[in-house]
Amino acid sequence: MADFNIRTDAVDVEQIMRQIRARIQEKRGVDYTEQQIQELANVKLERFLDPKGVRSDLVEQFKRRDRKLEPFHLHPEPSHGFDAEMLYGTHRGILRLIRRLLNPILKLFFNPGTVIHALHKQTEINSLYEGQFYFLREKIQQRDEIDVLYYELVHNLVLELTRVGIENRNLKMRLESLSSRMDFDERRARALEGVVQYRAGTGPAREAPPPEPRSFNQTPPPQQPLEPRAQTQPGSAPDEHGVESSTARRRRRRRRGRRGGRGRVPEMTSSGAPIETQSPEDSATPPHGDPTADAALLGDRSEPDFESDSDSGEDEGPDPSAQ
Amino acid sequence: MKLAIVVQRYGAEINGGAELHARYIAEHLSRHADVEVLTTCARDYVTWRDEYPAGVEPVHGVPVRRFRVDHERDVHVFGRLSDHVFGHQHSYLDELRWLDAEGPKSTALLSHVRAADATYDYVLYFSYRYFHVYHGVRATPTRAILVPTAERDEAVGLAISPRIFRGVRALMYNSPEERRMIQAVSGNYDVPGVVVGIGSEIAKQSQGDRFRQKYGIAGPFALYVGRIDQNKGCRELFSFYLNGLQALPRSLRLVLIGTAVLPIPDHPRIHHLGFLEDQDKFDALAAADLLVMPSYYESLSMVALEAWAVGKPVLANGKCEVLRGQCIRSKAGLYYETPAEFIETLRTIAESRTLNAALGANGRQFFQQNYSWPVIEQKYLDMFQRLKEADDQGRARLQPDLREPGFFARRRRTLRPAIDVLAELPSGPVLN
Repeated sequence: MADFNIRTDAVDVEQIMRQIRARIQEKRGVDYTEQQIQELANVKLERFLDPKGVRSDLVEQFKRRDRKLEPFHLHPEPSHGFDAEMLYGTHRGILRLIRRLLNPILKLFFNPGTVIHALHKQTEINSLYEGQFYFLREKIQQRDEIDVLYYELVHNLVLELTRVGIENRNLKMRLESLSSRMDFDERRARALEGVVQYRAGTGPAREAPPPEPRSFNQTPPPQQPLEPRAQTQPGSAPDEHGVESSTARRRRRRRRGRRGGRGRVPEMTSSGAPIETQSPEDSATPPHGDPTADAALLGDRSEPDFESDSDSGEDEGPDPSAQ
Repeated sequence: MKLAIVVQRYGAEINGGAELHARYIAEHLSRHADVEVLTTCARDYVTWRDEYPAGVEPVHGVPVRRFRVDHERDVHVFGRLSDHVFGHQHSYLDELRWLDAEGPKSTALLSHVRAADATYDYVLYFSYRYFHVYHGVRATPTRAILVPTAERDEAVGLAISPRIFRGVRALMYNSPEERRMIQAVSGNYDVPGVVVGIGSEIAKQSQGDRFRQKYGIAGPFALYVGRIDQNKGCRELFSFYLNGLQALPRSLRLVLIGTAVLPIPDHPRIHHLGFLEDQDKFDALAAADLLVMPSYYESLSMVALEAWAVGKPVLANGKCEVLRGQCIRSKAGLYYETPAEFIETLRTIAESRTLNAALGANGRQFFQQNYSWPVIEQKYLDMFQRLKEADDQGRARLQPDLREPGFFARRRRTLRPAIDVLAELPSGPVLN
């Protein structure tokens, strides 16, 4: 029996893993190395999850820890020297006497003075190293404490950097959105400026228009003119929601027919700008940033939009064809 | 055919990896042969304290003969010796002391194995790293079959281990990675061996809805089953999961089943259900979107096999070569090594229904083809037959000399630290 049946189906785990790694690489870019990510992952979770865990007195701690150590000075004289008295000295008088008597004999074999001198120097060196040892120990302790603070500082910086990175990305997206809105508004403003140039009485090169038989309001309230008609023509009264009667719609259709057809085909000026009859408030403003808005603004509107615009007061506005 | 199965502890309620492995094998082989289990009275794997009565008692129809242990484990001595033999130059005697300190030491069990050697056709030893295996293999070299259950840990690098791997008649490996490691450390290429693994007792009917209803778990979730321990990679799992919550699907939860040794983060998307019965465990597997296996060291993950058996994909720690190899060979799981990979693989499996289903289907097929009980049993029976034929035809392999070094040789501190030996062994998944 074979040890294992290696499958040969379509799923290739290693290929999927390569794709996943490529995707990670693409997403992450060059922000962090693998090593750094590993270190970040190993940082204590509590700090991330609990903001209270981050010390607010970090600077104070730094100041406190960063005190200068006294520079190391060699003591001019060691506290405990080494001399002949230490070599031969004893609290027993008889023994001290014997040693003193035998000292000349000892000096016949070697020079005790040199030994005493060497031991004296060694004592000095030992005390020097001892002092250095204590100095370094304190220095290392202080360094360890500061390292902990540095670790915390770096941790906080990484945390802040991550936050700032996310915020930066959000701001970029917002900026793009605002930029597209601004483009839209500019185009819209340009289109509306064209309308204002050709409005009756506003162009400087035109003559004053003849007086209108009735008062002309640019943006009359839509319901006001309908109500009297409703009183005089009961059969064509709007319903309770303000929906116009079929008679009013027929009248509008007749007027459109006089203009030259159904639908919005605006008359064009010699410069190619469309002649619009609506006030800026009446034009349906598409949502900001909506790419379809430009097309809608340039007259590519569907019928329902048109109807909607008509219902909002065009009935009582000036008839462009009359001009 | 009469078989003996020797294992450090045995019982219906013992769920340790090698011990459960031994019990399943004993119960399934008992359908084909007379099986007797030889074990100690210990129940606790830390102290090896005698808790079961000595003598013979049946467990699920298999006779179990228990022997008293000589002494409990002194954890301090064992720890000190472990540091010494794993990390420093040492002697063979140090390793024997380490083996003794690790336990469970039962001279009564060894005496029985020696005395009854001829009464068994084959003696199956489980877990290479214990006292009874080292000495038992030396006592029964012509009948010893080893199920090493070796992980990539320092004990493999000790000098006593290759002697065991070379000294048995045959080896039943858990994975190709384990076989490669053992062959590299011992050079036992001439010892018959086969990758077998272990089957599992899969619940006949597992219902995800029942689990969701019983434990109030809604929405997709990743499941972890096992001891919640740092050694099992759970700390890393929590860290990776919590750090990547922003990038994961909002409703994806992490459900943990098992005894907690490690503090579990208090988070609304992490649910710990404690130890569950087998039926609940399989219901949970059926309800889960995937199983997560964060462990670094596995010789064979039974729970991963169980997940595949119920058609669920596995997301494994890629640093565990066995799990990684299993995922690639089965085409039924993905693996991760870094936090970013963990998040991306988890998200991919959880979000892509097609991939999830394809991995699950592959897993189910992989389990059926390699780990269903008829397949496992047949591999054991084939091995017995192969050894028997070799004996009958007089072409059995000559057993190596398993005598221990002499008085001075065993005291010579010339053995390298086990950790250095381990570092030189080949690593990574076996794909061929």
